[in-house]
Amino acid sequence: MESLTKTILPWLLWLWLVGVILGAFLYAPPAVGFRGSSRILFFHVPMAWVSFVAFLAAGVESLRYLYGGRAPRHDRSAAAAVELGLAFGVLATVTGALWAKVMWGAYWNWDPRQTSILVALLFYAAYLALRAALEDRETRARLSAAYAVLGLVVAPFLYFVMPRMAEFTLHPEPVINRTGKVDMDGKMVLVLMSSLAGFTALYFWLHNLQCRIAELAERRASLEGDRP
Amino acid sequence: MNAMNDVGGANGWILAVNLIVWTGIFLYLLHLNRKLRDMEKDR
Amino acid sequence: MWPAASTWAAEATAVFVKEWRCELRTRYALSTLALFAFTTLVVVSVSLGPLGVARSQGSAVLPVLLWVILLFSVAAGLPRTFVQEEESQTATALRLSATPSALFCGKLAYGLTVIAALEALITPVYLAMMSLPVRSPGLLAVALAAAGYGLAAGSTLVAAIIAQARSKGTLFAVLAFPVLLPLLLLAVEITRDAVGGDPAGVALTQLILYDACVTTAGLMLFPAVWNP
Repeated sequence: MESLTKTILPWLLWLWLVGVILGAFLYAPPAVGFRGSSRILFFHVPMAWVSFVAFLAAGVESLRYLYGGRAPRHDRSAAAAVELGLAFGVLATVTGALWAKVMWGAYWNWDPRQTSILVALLFYAAYLALRAALEDRETRARLSAAYAVLGLVVAPFLYFVMPRMAEFTLHPEPVINRTGKVDMDGKMVLVLMSSLAGFTALYFWLHNLQCRIAELAERRASLEGDRP
Repeated sequence: MNAMNDVGGANGWILAVNLIVWTGIFLYLLHLNRKLRDMEKDR
Repeated sequence: MWPAASTWAAEATAVFVKEWRCELRTRYALSTLALFAFTTLVVVSVSLGPLGVARSQGSAVLPVLLWVILLFSVAAGLPRTFVQEEESQTATALRLSATPSALFCGKLAYGLTVIAALEALITPVYLAMMSLPVRSPGLLAVALAAAGYGLAAGSTLVAAIIAQARSKGTLFAVLAFPVLLPLLLLAVEITRDAVGGDPAGVALTQLILYDACVTTAGLMLFPAVWNP
């Protein structure tokens, strides 16, 4: 029974995202005041969201590593999360820049949200640079975990506090705006939420694959190390 | 607002490309999953 | 080397005193910092002063440059506190004799005093050379204090992390800048307000919040970073 769900789930995910893509182009109307290009937000927003989720995951796994027994799998999990977070974050930035070009004429405007996500990306590239500079497995795991937990403190600040408090931003109001009401067409909300769910599921699948690859690689490396 | 008018022309192409790219990625991930499972089996 | 400390405060003070004693012996960090800061200052003044920057743009641009100078000076001079310990191998002795939190606070206090000295030195000279009138000097002082603290706290933690890695010089900049950048952005905003005579906005609250977060993270993570 369990292997049946294991085989079905990926296909369900495929179907789900096919539905999201179709919904984004056929079902949801263009946003009021924007043009057809607004459809990119069904992909841009979830990718930025996933990159934030990934960074939180990296922080949590790093805490688990540091205070939960220094198990290598938590270290692998954290590193995988950062890699994925960086990938999704880059995609989010690029899609955002493309949209910015269409909407406001310039790829980059130093909009607070754009700046924040750029700093977040720098943070996580730095994490990977730190790992590259440490050879000993335990030192690498310990120090990069510490940096990732520092990131846990910085990331929410960057993603939520700063952009929202800036006086002027080009970014459209967040979906749940200040008054607490949802300010977007119902169909758009549906597609957007579905896309968020789909991309999050995709992230977890990718993360799982990444962790397994890392573990197998480590296993092989230790086997090869034993050979004379 | 009937979004059906938007299909055809550029929008139709983008939609098709999106579906193809996503399906391609998906099949690759399935392949990867299978390969990893095999490698994990012969420890 | 340093007196046996029975209380935490005594330990932290001992670390602080020892840092300054070593520093005054060689005067390395101070001279590097001061020299770096002044050189940058001259470059900025020459390019903006004689070649002229319009009055209206001046008050927008000049606050930024002040903080850039401070940031780079800190990056040039502060990491030594930990790197030197590892290199001269006094780190082991420290690990045996000092409580991690006391050590962290001692080093942090040292960093704070260095930055304070730097700010006291550079800011008046900068303001004079750029002929930049500041309408709310009190607010400027607050900004210097709050952001200066943040710079010290962030730098101390990151310095501890990279001290155990290779290529420490560039690695410090890579790791520290994403952490310190939000700090800088907020400091610049507040400095602009101080120059223009506007009241401090949310930026000040955010800055203090950020300082608190980084301090908590530092105190929590330092033991894991310091001890294997």
